[in-house]
Amino acid sequence: MNCPSCQAALAPGARFCENCGAQLGAAVAVPTPVAAASGGDPLGDAPISAPTRKPAAALPDPPAPGRRPCAECGGEVGPDLYCVECGTKAPSERDHFQEQPAPWVAGVCDKAIGKARNEDAMALLAGAQPGGRPGSRAVLIVMDGVSNSIDSDVASLAGARAAREVLRMPLPAGMGTPDSRDAAVRKVLGDAAAAANTAIVAVTDPDSTNPASATFTAAVLEGRRITWANIGDSRSYWLPDAGTPVQLSVDDSVAQAQMAAGVAREVAETGPQAHAITKWLGRDSEDQTPTVGSLEVQESGWLLACSDGLWNYASEPEALAAQVRAAATDDPLALALALVAFANGAGGHDNITAALARVDLAVDPAALGHNDHTPTPGGEPTDG
Amino acid sequence: MAEFSAAVYQNEFLPDGGTDVNAIVTITCKGAGTAGQSGAGSAGEIIIVDTSGSMGPATMAAAKEGAQAALAEIVDGTYFAIIAGADRAMLAYPQVSSGPGMVQMDARTRQEASAAIDRFVGSGGTAISTWLDLAGQLFSSVSAVTQRHVLLLTDGENRERPGRLDDAINRATGYFQADCRGAGTDWQVAEIRRIAQALLGTVDIIPSPAEMKAQFQEIMRNAMARGVADASLRVWTPQGAEVLFVRQVSPTVEDLTQRRTPVNPLTGDYPTGAWSDESRDYHVAVRVPAKAIGQEQLAARVQLALGSDVVAQGLVKATWSNNSELTTRIDQQVAHYTGQAELAQAIQEGLAAKAAGDEATATTKLGRAVQLAAATGNDEATSKLRKVVDVDNEEAGTVRLKRTVEKADEMALDTASTKTTRIRKEPTS
Repeated sequence: MNCPSCQAALAPGARFCENCGAQLGAAVAVPTPVAAASGGDPLGDAPISAPTRKPAAALPDPPAPGRRPCAECGGEVGPDLYCVECGTKAPSERDHFQEQPAPWVAGVCDKAIGKARNEDAMALLAGAQPGGRPGSRAVLIVMDGVSNSIDSDVASLAGARAAREVLRMPLPAGMGTPDSRDAAVRKVLGDAAAAANTAIVAVTDPDSTNPASATFTAAVLEGRRITWANIGDSRSYWLPDAGTPVQLSVDDSVAQAQMAAGVAREVAETGPQAHAITKWLGRDSEDQTPTVGSLEVQESGWLLACSDGLWNYASEPEALAAQVRAAATDDPLALALALVAFANGAGGHDNITAALARVDLAVDPAALGHNDHTPTPGGEPTDG
Repeated sequence: MAEFSAAVYQNEFLPDGGTDVNAIVTITCKGAGTAGQSGAGSAGEIIIVDTSGSMGPATMAAAKEGAQAALAEIVDGTYFAIIAGADRAMLAYPQVSSGPGMVQMDARTRQEASAAIDRFVGSGGTAISTWLDLAGQLFSSVSAVTQRHVLLLTDGENRERPGRLDDAINRATGYFQADCRGAGTDWQVAEIRRIAQALLGTVDIIPSPAEMKAQFQEIMRNAMARGVADASLRVWTPQGAEVLFVRQVSPTVEDLTQRRTPVNPLTGDYPTGAWSDESRDYHVAVRVPAKAIGQEQLAARVQLALGSDVVAQGLVKATWSNNSELTTRIDQQVAHYTGQAELAQAIQEGLAAKAAGDEATATTKLGRAVQLAAATGNDEATSKLRKVVDVDNEEAGTVRLKRTVEKADEMALDTASTKTTRIRKEPTS
């Protein structure tokens, strides 16, 4: 399948062209995989363990947003991405996109006013069950393409989408002990990072002397449990409504190393090497093992995954929490837009991504209705 | 099946407060096929030969031979008719007085038409309006004919009450196309050019009878190669914008600005007539409200439309920038064709001034023409200008009017004034 605008080849199920940014919207149907009809082997080339149908526990892709109306006059945007009324150029879907897989989960990935290209990427998943409830699940993946490498905008998006596929099913519970669960979860998150890495390498020109590379941050919420994984300097934060906000992920950066050695955060993060990362994904990556951790939350709040385009202007968890409070909204999309607007307002020197999942433990279960299929906490079914 | 493509040449960068966007849009047609063979309708050809008393024996003999040679080029199955034009128009072939006034070409009708042409005798005056009106009636008598083309030959000035010819031209505009030729030097270039421009055709002089046959053959061959019966140049501009002009600039300069037919409040169609395998350039100038530095917007969508189908599109853009290196650059194509359009105007105005006895204006205008022809590399215009003026300094445009000029050379310069040359292209986007 090819882009109707620039004829570039499209990935299956692509919602917009990774070459020109043209939105494909409903015009492009997600192709249904067809069973290989090979003559001899009834299984064809398919892996033996491939599911024959989508498991009920797999999270669906976020709905494709329609083409947004012209920001200038509200008119219809034509297939050439210019308004049919006033001619204003619509921002390319790659330059600014939003995902909202469920009412309680949303993200915004924005080029920022100071950048020519959006090398950040984001891929989200969420179930309908609201965050914090037993059986609720959300996956937030943020990747930041390294801007001095070629095609890192294409690479970061391909990577985020590949990692999303790995995290579509619930995290494993292991053999019943905390240690075995940790090991199993670590394995899956490592697989997600590896899938992202494979996808990046796949879209990298083999002859490139400056291969694409990207950071990787994944935050998974299951019930009350947050599990995070990180490579590079994109971050995940837990921002409770009342309690102490925390930065969950630990950067793989020179600044982080300096802070570990006792340098103050504001000094380290503004130094000449502040944005030099020590781990990344891509063809020249040496270590693709993410740092992994988890947290059991006890109160309502926000799980945030973001790129440095946001935390550059509010690195301290308390500073970010202040921005969240200032936005004063329960809607994750409105909050993500507010955080992006805050970073743009503060200068917008780097691509900005903010992905949020709302954890609400104060909701009256009666108001939600009962769900017979709700798994019990800690006993999530696995696909193993 | 014909395939169209569009390419845009422009400098999209405007300075702060800049409003005027200029672009050259090249439309190319490939695989046009043959007239009347696309299945969408039949082609109709009408040959009009001046049979007024002014046609001398040599010219008349050449005109007969030319018309017969043109018959040979008309593809079998094409509807056709022959008109003998004098102070009234006579249907020379087919010889009918009612019903369909055109017949399909085959060996027999070609033979009969040829015999009818042989019987032409020169007498009477010249009333071109009646010729055009009869052609229109003949086309409308055969409903299968959807692509209508006329080859018109005259040798003299129109002798009609003023306004009559213009009325006839208006009736024919948009209904059929006409390529016009003038034999000898007793006809009026401006008059015949008016017909050809309105009817989307060419005008040229056939100074000597010997060239008649080749010219007729070429005109008819070109007409038969136009497999795309009709098309429009469709121009969309944004709300609040103004189309300054739309001009065909290659192969000839034709101002289309006044010929806009609205499609909707933001879109208008400009006629292009039929297409063969060819490439034409259009200069589109649009005035848009200025926007802030760094903003980009679409200034025009320039499309080729076959009926309601858009088959090619070029985007004309505007981006406001404070980088003067970007904003001061004038696109090479735009500069070239701006010069060529001015060249056509300078030649026509210079010759008109010369005819009116205003030597000072004629010298200035033709001097400017010499300068522009050299600067834009239009060698045909240069060589034709040099038959009318003595050039002192080409670069400065200083010339003297020649004391004795062949009338035919002056007319050839006039008819060729709208022909343009091209320069090598590199797409800007």
